[in-house]
Amino acid sequence: MEIDRTPPNAATSDSNSTCGEFMDAEGEPEQEERSELSAGDLYQEAELGAEEAEQQRHSIISELRDELSTRPRHPRTALSPDGDGPSAAAGQSKDLAASVESLALSTSTSTKTEDSGSSNALDEEAYDYQHDSVWRGQKKHIFILSEAGKPIYSLHGNEDKLATLFGVIQALVSFVQLGQDAITSIHAGAVKFAFMQRNSLILVAASRTNMSIQQLQLQLSDVYYQILSTLTYSHMSKIFEKRKNFDLRRLLSGSERLIYNLLANDSSNARVSNNIFTFLTNSIRVFPLPTTVRSTIVSTIQSNCSKIKKLVFAVLIANNKLIALVRMKNYSIHPADLRLIFNLIECSESFKNSENWTPICLPKFDMNGYLHAHVSYLADDCPACLLLMSVDRDAFHILSEAKQRITDKLRRSLCLQSINDELQQPYNAKLHQQVVNIPDLRHFLYKPKATAQLLCPMLRHPYKSLTEFGRLEAIYCSMLHRIHNHSRPLKLIYELKEREVVLAWVTATYELYAVFESIVDKATVIKNVDKLIKWIEKEYDVFFIRNHATF
Amino acid sequence: MANRKKSLLKVIILGDSSVGKTSLMNQYVNKRFSNQYKATIGADFCTKEVVVNDRVVTMQIWDTAGQERFQSLGVAFYRGADCCVLVYDVTAPNSFKNLDSWRDEFLIQASPRDPEHFPFVVLGNKVDLDNRQVSTRRAQQWCQSKNDIPYYETSAKEGINVEMAFQTIAKNALEQETEAELINDFPDQIRLNSDNNRPGNADNCQC
Repeated sequence: MEIDRTPPNAATSDSNSTCGEFMDAEGEPEQEERSELSAGDLYQEAELGAEEAEQQRHSIISELRDELSTRPRHPRTALSPDGDGPSAAAGQSKDLAASVESLALSTSTSTKTEDSGSSNALDEEAYDYQHDSVWRGQKKHIFILSEAGKPIYSLHGNEDKLATLFGVIQALVSFVQLGQDAITSIHAGAVKFAFMQRNSLILVAASRTNMSIQQLQLQLSDVYYQILSTLTYSHMSKIFEKRKNFDLRRLLSGSERLIYNLLANDSSNARVSNNIFTFLTNSIRVFPLPTTVRSTIVSTIQSNCSKIKKLVFAVLIANNKLIALVRMKNYSIHPADLRLIFNLIECSESFKNSENWTPICLPKFDMNGYLHAHVSYLADDCPACLLLMSVDRDAFHILSEAKQRITDKLRRSLCLQSINDELQQPYNAKLHQQVVNIPDLRHFLYKPKATAQLLCPMLRHPYKSLTEFGRLEAIYCSMLHRIHNHSRPLKLIYELKEREVVLAWVTATYELYAVFESIVDKATVIKNVDKLIKWIEKEYDVFFIRNHATF
Repeated sequence: MANRKKSLLKVIILGDSSVGKTSLMNQYVNKRFSNQYKATIGADFCTKEVVVNDRVVTMQIWDTAGQERFQSLGVAFYRGADCCVLVYDVTAPNSFKNLDSWRDEFLIQASPRDPEHFPFVVLGNKVDLDNRQVSTRRAQQWCQSKNDIPYYETSAKEGINVEMAFQTIAKNALEQETEAELINDFPDQIRLNSDNNRPGNADNCQC
């Protein structure tokens, strides 16, 4: 068992060159701390010379291939699970690992006795999950608990019945805290545990997937923001200040579906969808529209909202993609906040039937207060959802009237029709055409550096099946992790895998991750990437929004 | 009222080594007793559902190590407890004397909001043994002097009073829970142009 801790001083992390590889994979401890400031930092662009990247543009592939061949392909799985890997070099971690193991032993004996002595029906129920093969076999678990060790949420299973497990988690966290330290991850064989402590909450991910610790932590921070979005930071802090033993479930009841939907977005929960990639790249997706249509929509929102005071954001979305965003001057919206909005809309069928007035906290905007959102779909015959978000809690009627005017105007200018046309296609025709024209290209992710927006094509054969999609997800997880590695960021990866050829390429203006048929050669890949990039640059304004207008 | 149904209590068991903390928990949760002594390392956890005043309550029982060398879990461990069970061995006067320091230790580490009224329960264990050294009266007096802590004499071996003691623990802890309502506190309105939402803190991250 290997344990990653934030060492008391940085010297421990760079003293040993043999464990550099593995330490790198987990990121510098200082970086871990930085991630507490902003989840966005996790994917902050590598600060390497942009010109350099350009220079290497043509020769870099061969170089990278050399590097790839000298590097272990799966550094993580190469670790021996019993801890005599490089991590054991740090004596301190070894001690810790030993005591953690003994702690684990102590709890496992307790579960054993409970197993054999199940005379009490209630007890049997209480330990159901931990002996349940389905529960144990889940690829990903997420646990949220209070600092006191009280369960708040478990992705799988009733958290009440898992109270014992939550106790163990709290004990682990508390034990490491005792040494003025913080536990960030545990690697036990193929299972990774990522820990995050925020504002009286402990969040833990246990995963058998290919997600790296940083990626798991990004997911934990997304859930943390989801909880803040319901409660606000100040309210939650006040509660735990007054009562450390508070059972937060009392305040979160009803919002479990939001947490679930946010977490169950990947193949480990049998979801085959591009949504996971927006999370992995810390971005959002844009609804493709002809530029004239989008600018008409934006100007319609502007002209109908510009006189409304205290209106901060107007967001129009459809099918989990952003159609338009208009903002108050000097304010912007973070992709993590937008993902919370997407999540709310995706989970709330009831919004379709009426106008709604709901408080929502956007933690990256202001974690201590609520924005008041007028939420409604444009029309019965147009399933695009408009959110008008104000700081004024009495603005419902003004916003309701504005929304009506916007819908009327968009109908007259045939924008509703344009949105519907796009929605009725199974996928964007232009994008599909382009991907079909590059037959060897199976899938790609394209993210411009200037915006946190992601372009990816519809999932096609073979990635429509769950297992194949799971592999695609794993490929992207690994590429993203290596490209964004804090201590050793890469600019280009070209890898021949068993069943595909994969490429990751970071330039001064974009990041591209592409997956090709396994039979293509390097020259074809380069040719195809060139073709794709040129096409995206030409069609840029259909698939991306360069600047968000202001009221 | 759906959320009223869910209730979870964190109960911490403290006391000298080998007074029977783990045995009491095992007797209560599993109805089992073993004469063999096995020191608890760090902590042990058990869960039990009980019904108190028609409410189903999950008790999360934190059994701790009495031996000092295994007490390595830190301050945070006691934090947010709903009830603390102090256990001593009626045949071992020292374990009774040490109740004071266990109680103090808990109050310092957990620092509950209202230490005077924090729900403790004292259990005098091993009453099945013949060589009793601490009298009931002495124990009761001590409990009275500490703001009337409920006191039970138990035998983990024979299951005497164990069920009843834990029922009291659950009840007293629940009474604390209902006291303050913090829920209907609505945060302040966002004031624009305040420092905390100035734009530009993460330019590369905006959409």
